[in-house]
Amino acid sequence: MRKLLVLALISLWLTGCATQPKQDMSAFRAAAPRSILVVPVVNKSLDVDAPNYVLATLPIPIAEKGYYVFPVNTTKVVLEQEGLYEPEQIRQYPPQDLAKLFGADAVLYVTINRWDAQYALITTVVTVDFDYRMVFKDGTEIWMAHQHMQYSPQNNSTGSPIADLIVMAVNAAVTRAAPNYIPLTKQANQMTFMYGPSALPNGPYRDAGKTN
Amino acid sequence: MLKWGVALSALAMLGGCATNGLYQWGGYEQKLYTSYKDPNKVEELRETLETLISQQQQDKHKVAPGLYAELGTIYLQKGDTNKAVDLYAKERDTWPESSGLMTAMIKNLERLKKDKEGEAR
Repeated sequence: MRKLLVLALISLWLTGCATQPKQDMSAFRAAAPRSILVVPVVNKSLDVDAPNYVLATLPIPIAEKGYYVFPVNTTKVVLEQEGLYEPEQIRQYPPQDLAKLFGADAVLYVTINRWDAQYALITTVVTVDFDYRMVFKDGTEIWMAHQHMQYSPQNNSTGSPIADLIVMAVNAAVTRAAPNYIPLTKQANQMTFMYGPSALPNGPYRDAGKTN
Repeated sequence: MLKWGVALSALAMLGGCATNGLYQWGGYEQKLYTSYKDPNKVEELRETLETLISQQQQDKHKVAPGLYAELGTIYLQKGDTNKAVDLYAKERDTWPESSGLMTAMIKNLERLKKDKEGEAR
């Protein structure tokens, strides 16, 4: 957990900020949404808990960027009352109508492509992979992003090959028991919305108009 | 040593491309996903939101987007319509972007309440 945090911070520090070429934001800027409706997440992984976990981690980075984010759980409950229980059903619903129903400027759709841990004998790799897509209330797509993040416990060498093997096996077992999906997901969201090339321009509640 | 590493890189990040937090979120995110995992934990989410909101009100800080409404929905699901309506109104007054949705929900709840009162008579 702590190692992951260090790794996350370092990778953010190395890759973050303004070093990467920015994605074209002209459509997003022209639309200039103030409020974003985050709808329940489509899950293509095998983990049934993944979509709710991802849904819960989406509001904070977007709101901190300066946008009004509709309450995700309230949104889910309202959609269920409208008979839309499955995220796939919500995808079939015209975004214009969704935006109108909630009074939102834009709708954010997120798909989980991967959310898994691959176990080898002595190492484990945890992977998350998401697609993000934002559609304006008039139905035009104004932004999209893809994020793929992997984590495997780093092993510090002890100098003894056998001791190293034991440490690696223990690390792999720990990761297997409790894969660190949530911190990895939060890192993916932060890169997507706040720091990476797809980072959103600042919203109206954070010095509107300025880029980061 | 590791702690220093974390502290240093956190500092470096803050210095580099700082984005200061706009809001306090307390344990909202974590309690929300634990309540999805285990519906019995909704009560913990309610307590977390309750504490966070009263703290923000005391400190005269703006409550983060959506949190009044999320608490309102928990009350709605517990059957406390009055409390839900109160909280939806607070969300609407704090965040004008929510006004369409909150007004519609409040209207619906008040109509339901009237219907129920009518039936009772």
